[in-house]
Order: sequence, then structure tokens, then C-alpha cells
Amino acid sequence: MTFKTRLISGLSLLIGAVAACSNPAEAPTESETAGTQSALTIYSSRHYDSDKELFAMFEEQSGAQLDVRESGASQLLETMKAEGDQSPADIIIAADAGSLWRFQDAGLTQPLTSEALTNAVPANYREADGNWFGVARRLRGIAYDPSRWSAEDLTQWNTLAMDDKAGEICVRSSSNIYNLSLLGEIIHRYGSEEAQAWATAVVSNMARNPQGGDTDQIRAIAAGECSIAIVNHYYWIRLGASEKEADTQVAAATAFLLPEFSEGSGSHVNITGAAVTQTADNLELAEEFISFLLTETGQSYLTRETKELPLLDTTPLPVGVERVPAFTASDAQLGMYGENQAEAQRLFDLAGWN
Amino acid sequence: MLLIVLVGLPVFAALFAGVSAGDGATWDHLLENRLIPYTGTTVSVLILSAIIMLGLAVPAAWLISLYDFPGRKIFDWALILPLAMPGYVMAYAWADLMGVAGPLQSNFRELTGLSARDYWFPNLFSAPGLAFVLASTLFPYVYITARAAFSMQSLTTLEAARSLGARPLDLFWRVGLPVALPTILGGLCLALMEAAADYGAADFLGVQTLGVGIIRAWTSFGEPNTAARLALMLILIAGTFLIVARLFQGRRGTQQTSLRWLTPRRTSLSPIVGWSVAMMCTSILLICFFAPVLRLIWLAFENQAQAAELAPLLRSTLILGLMGAGAAFLAALVFSLVSKKNETLRFGARLIAAAGYAAPGAVLGLGALFTLRETGQALSGTIAIGFLVWIYVSRFTSAGVEPIQATLARLPKNIDHAAHSLGATGFRQFWRVDLPLIAPGALAAGLILFVEILKELPATLMLRPFGWDTLAVRAHAYATDERLAQATLPSLLIVLAGLAPVLLLSWRLSRTERT
Repeated sequence: MTFKTRLISGLSLLIGAVAACSNPAEAPTESETAGTQSALTIYSSRHYDSDKELFAMFEEQSGAQLDVRESGASQLLETMKAEGDQSPADIIIAADAGSLWRFQDAGLTQPLTSEALTNAVPANYREADGNWFGVARRLRGIAYDPSRWSAEDLTQWNTLAMDDKAGEICVRSSSNIYNLSLLGEIIHRYGSEEAQAWATAVVSNMARNPQGGDTDQIRAIAAGECSIAIVNHYYWIRLGASEKEADTQVAAATAFLLPEFSEGSGSHVNITGAAVTQTADNLELAEEFISFLLTETGQSYLTRETKELPLLDTTPLPVGVERVPAFTASDAQLGMYGENQAEAQRLFDLAGWN
Repeated sequence: MLLIVLVGLPVFAALFAGVSAGDGATWDHLLENRLIPYTGTTVSVLILSAIIMLGLAVPAAWLISLYDFPGRKIFDWALILPLAMPGYVMAYAWADLMGVAGPLQSNFRELTGLSARDYWFPNLFSAPGLAFVLASTLFPYVYITARAAFSMQSLTTLEAARSLGARPLDLFWRVGLPVALPTILGGLCLALMEAAADYGAADFLGVQTLGVGIIRAWTSFGEPNTAARLALMLILIAGTFLIVARLFQGRRGTQQTSLRWLTPRRTSLSPIVGWSVAMMCTSILLICFFAPVLRLIWLAFENQAQAAELAPLLRSTLILGLMGAGAAFLAALVFSLVSKKNETLRFGARLIAAAGYAAPGAVLGLGALFTLRETGQALSGTIAIGFLVWIYVSRFTSAGVEPIQATLARLPKNIDHAAHSLGATGFRQFWRVDLPLIAPGALAAGLILFVEILKELPATLMLRPFGWDTLAVRAHAYATDERLAQATLPSLLIVLAGLAPVLLLSWRLSRTERT
């Protein structure tokens, strides 16, 4: 079968040839970057244009070149596992402490001993050995219809499990990491049994099947389908800061609060964080980069578009974020979100939370 | 044989990793609590979307093939347009249109003064909603095959039936459909496998299919091996389709001896019937293509979406699409021709290709990463592109094999014998006899592959090298950050990039009919 072999060899030639000549100019080959000391490869699960500006500023300031791969945290984790020692990644940026813990758990990070970073980042927002550091904060709370409820009705998470909330709650699906981390903290505080009971009660109070994203839940309140939604603060802030009138109307028709787990427990806080990888060789530059994220410039660019809260209290809040009510943060160590993640999904499954 | 191994490897690497990993607590939990609901939902979504697809495609194809009515020529090619629409984009657009805060319901509430809880409205965020979304993007597969089957029906058969006094409906139920059914089932099989592999639309609509369960096992439970194991279930379902279709084809398959493929003279429909048929086709197009596309364009304008920086995305999308489609096309061609004479080899090749087609792109991506781990390389530059193209081949070869084999199957056996008796064998027979004969099917295969790869998301997201973001990757990034307005432009560009090959495809199809 001559033509078969011809076709196969032709096929492989074609792939090789096209791949070789279509390597775009802006993506430098490894040999170019590996030799120089001033290059940093970042694996990021964020996709914001303001991040690109921020990275460009770091390039200019440090003279280092940044290569960025953006993908989902799970995809980046598997990519790094597959690449092993050959991974070009130096820095991981991921939203949610649960994700960062996954990288640490897989042995893909290394502890960074930096007095400056340790002093700058509060203890519960970084891993004890320096495997990852928070760089911005995100809050999961409750958006509600103020004509239906007052803030006193929703001060604690367990108020969502009460009978008077029947048919009132909108929330997204359970596999979303924000929900997993929230249940992770409930498991941490009260154990699996109570966590499952809470999830089951919330499911029975839902106005509709879990669907869409956080923004969709807030819009559903304004449309009248439900009156309570579990959402991250920045989705509500972004609606209020939107240039579309329909969006600002939604924000105006809803209110937002940060419930506690029990009286005085503080509220659920999560982070976007950065970690240095096991394969990073230029630790100085890596530390310089993370420190840069914690400067005032870094903080404001990280949060300007996302509407997260800066990690440092000294940085002015991004436009619109001042609407987030004052709160006391829970003192929980965020790493346990990751440790409890699989258990949280299991409990959600059992509770029937799609 | 080597090629079969190449195409099958990512699936088997993933499955091997899945099966060899040993049972964890997660697997027990899934087996006990989730496997049956996941499978049940998946199967019901598939059955429902099969019914919708047949209902949309087969009557339209029949009427367009045999009758004349206003706009017939336009509908003939326009009904393929929805193929350019990725399922996840269709889900975004329709969810926005039909959601409780969307324009339809908002205006309805304003008009009636009712609150959202006072009335019933079809819920897109449900298994039937997902079936509708998937069927509306995938029915062109069924339409193309049905259209080809109807217009290639031997003139003599239909004329004979007509002269025997068969009424129009009889003609369809007793002659047209039975003869065309094997071919139509082939198209349906393809569409269903694609639907089974969906993750994006199901996840967005919150429907708990196996595709969603697989990704959840990976991202929530942190067990990619369990995810791969769960994918086995999907592949079993796809295998079942193929076997059922094959049983049907084997039993009902009719080999047409006449090469006179000219469509019988078209009968003109009466004005009333003709216009109602035209209305039906218009509604199909409106629902499956124009309404969602116009909504996206509206959103893009309303939010003054920025077109900046889309050019490099378009470029890498096109380059990857061309490389992937070229490689997958060659694989499909070799598969089809080498196995032409060997029934067992052919079915084996189809099964392997189908396993890749029915597996979610993310599972194949995991398979590639498991393989990469063995090689000890970084995922960058040429290696990343090579892996990505390989996964495209593994994932989509089936979409190329099916049209080519459908064409091959329709060729009367005596052509082979004639070629042999004239001394044309081996490569010469391929070049002088087979290739010209399968050219229409092969072209269709190539174009379908290109469009499919343009729309591909999960594997591209996992394996692309630095600086190679595609339109789908960017649209997904915006959509996951709940910035749907910004996702509209890259989404529209995917549709636009897919339109050219789709139009070429429909032009080609309507041309082959005339010759």
C-alpha cells in the first residue's frame, strides 16, 4: 500500500513544517528565554486587560520579560504536572485559595522566605511556609431585595436555611469554586453533617434550579424571580459601576451584605493569590514580581477592573467598591478551603445542589 | 494501522490512566450517587435532541429536494448556516434572550404588569432547553445528509413510485424515507456524538450531563483520572449509537444500481402550501441562526465592545484550524480508503474515530497531558502545536470519515470491478477512480472539519502554546468572568470565520446536485 505510507509521511511532514514556520514572532522560543536571567513565565487563571497593563509596567520597571499563559486553574495544574521538571512556569496566579492549595498539594510550589512579603500579607491570607501569598481579596455574601428583607433577617449564613426563605433563594451551581470554598468554611467550623444539613435546607428554599453565573442571580432578584442570591461582592459592584442603565437599575434595586457564620465569627473572605513554582530558578525576580503586585500601583491595577478589594488596607478602594458594607473578616486559615473542596462537592451532590 | 493507533491514543491514554488509578472515595461516591442521574440526563437530552433534529432537518430536506416553493434556493444553502454557531455561543445568546431578566420576559412583564413568579415561561435552563440548543446548532449535519440522500435517490425509483400513483405523503413515508434512512442515520450519529461531548452549553445552562460530571470530577474533586474513567460511559453511549446505526444500515441499506442521480423534476407546490413551507423554513432559520446572531450583534453595539486585539486571535484561529483540518482530513481519507475493502477494519476504524469524537475535548486534552508527562517536555512552541493538532485529529477524524464513507458506500460495487478489469489498482485506482468519485464527499468532510476546529474550545484552551490564543479561548475567558458583552465580538468572529467554509460547502452541495 504505497499511497498509505506516502500519505502518512506527507501528513507528518506537513504538521512539522507548518508548526515550524508558523511559530509567531512574539512568542520567543525556549532557548531565547532560558538563557537570560531576566525572564519570568506566568501561569495565570485571570483574564483581565488591566493585568496586561500591569505586566507591561513590571516589564518596563524591571527590564524582565514576561510570558503569560492564561487558562483555567485546573488546566494549568494538569499542564504543570505533565511538564514536570521541564515546566517553564515561574509564577502561578490563581483566584481562590482553594486553587492555590491544589498547586501546593501537588508539590508544584516552593516556599518563599521573604520578610517583606510576610510582613505585608496578614497571616491568614498567606500559606504559613510562604507557598502562596494573597494579593487581592474577594468576598462572598448575599444580594437581596431590600423591599422584602431587612439586613437583620440575613445576618448569618444559617438564616438561609430557615423556612421563611422558602422559594426565595437564587444561586449558581455547586461545582463553582466560590460555593465550594464557602461550604469548605462551613465544614471547617461545624463539620460535614451540619454542612450537609445547611446545603439541603438551602436547596429546599431555592426559587429555581442552580444556573448561570453570579450576575444572573442578582438580575433575577431585580426581575422578581427570587429575593435572595449568594454572590461575590464584585459582581454586584460591577453592575452598579456599569455604563448601562439596565445594570445600574439592577444594582439600585438590590442591596448587599456580608453574613457571619455565627455571632462574632467574622465573614467569609477569599483571595486571589500568587505562588512561586517548584521549577522557578530566578527566585529574586519572582519575589520582586510578587512584591510589585503588593505595591500601591500593583494593588490598584489588580483590583481596578475586577472590583476586588485590595489586600493592603492602605490602597484606596477601586471606584464603586466603597458600597461594600463594613465587615470583620473571619480568621480562618484559607488553605482549608482546598483541603475541604472535594468533601464540599460530595456534600453538595448529596444535598441535591446541582 | 499506525494511524488508527495514533488517532486512538489520546482516548486510550486517558482511559488507561482512569482505569489504572484505582478506586478513590470520589469514584465510590460518583458510582453510588451520580452515575445514574448523569447518564439518565445525558441519554434523555440526546434522545430529545435527536427528535428535534430529525423534525427540523428531514421534512425541510425532503421538500427542498422534491418541490418548488418561494425561496427554495435560498433555504437550500441557508439551512446549513447554524453549523457555524458553536453550541456554547448559542447557549449564551438564547439564555440572554430567554432569561428572566432578558428582553422577552422583561417586555412581557412590562406589558402585563405581572411579576416573574406569576406566569409560566419555557425554561431554557433545563434538559429540554439544552436539547433545543444543541439540536439547533447540529441539525445541519442531518440536513446535509438527508438532502444528499434525497437528491441522490435514483430517479427511476421515485418515478416508478409516482407512476404507480403514490401520493406525496406515501412517496415520503414508503419510498423516500426508507431508502434515505441509512444515510440520514449516519448524519444523526455524528450530530449526537458531538452533542454527547458538549460541556460548554450544558455547564452554562446548569444541566447535569455526563460531560459536566466529567469536568466536575476533575475540577471539584481534583481527580482527572476519575474524570477520564467517567468518560468511558460517554464513549460507550457513542459506541451504542454506531452499532445501532450500523445494524439499521446493514438491514435496510439499499445499494442503488443506477448512476442517474438526477433529482426528479420538482413539483410546484400550490401558493398556500408553498408559502407555508417557506414560513416554516424561515422560522427554522430565525430560531437557529438569525435571532441569536442578531442578539449578539445588538449586545456588541449596546456595550460598544472593543474590536482591538482581535486580529492576532483571528490569525491563530485560522492557522490552527487549517493545520488541524488538513491533518484530520488526511487521516479521514486514509481511514476510508485503506479500509474500503475490509469490513472489519472499516468498522474498527470508525469505532476508534467515534470514541475520539464522543469524548469531550477536555478528556482528550488530559490524555495528551498524560502522554506529555511520559516524554518529559514542556508544553510550548512546536511541541504544543504538535500535541494540539494531534488532538484535533483524534477528536475530529470521525467528522471527516463519516461523509467520505457515506459517499463511498453509495458507489456501486461494480465500479471497483470495472477499474480492476481495466488494470487500475492500488495508487492508480485511488488517483484516477476513487478520488474523483469521492471528491464531493471529501470536500464536505474538509470543510466540516475546518468549521469544527474553529469552534473547538477545551483542548485548545489546555494545549495551545504561548501567544496562540484563539477566538474561542478569548470568548470563553470573558464568558467565565461573566462579561458576556465583551464575549460577543470574539463569538461573532467565530461565526463569521465559520460562515465562509459553510457557504462554500452549501454552494458545493447545490452544484453537485446540478451536474
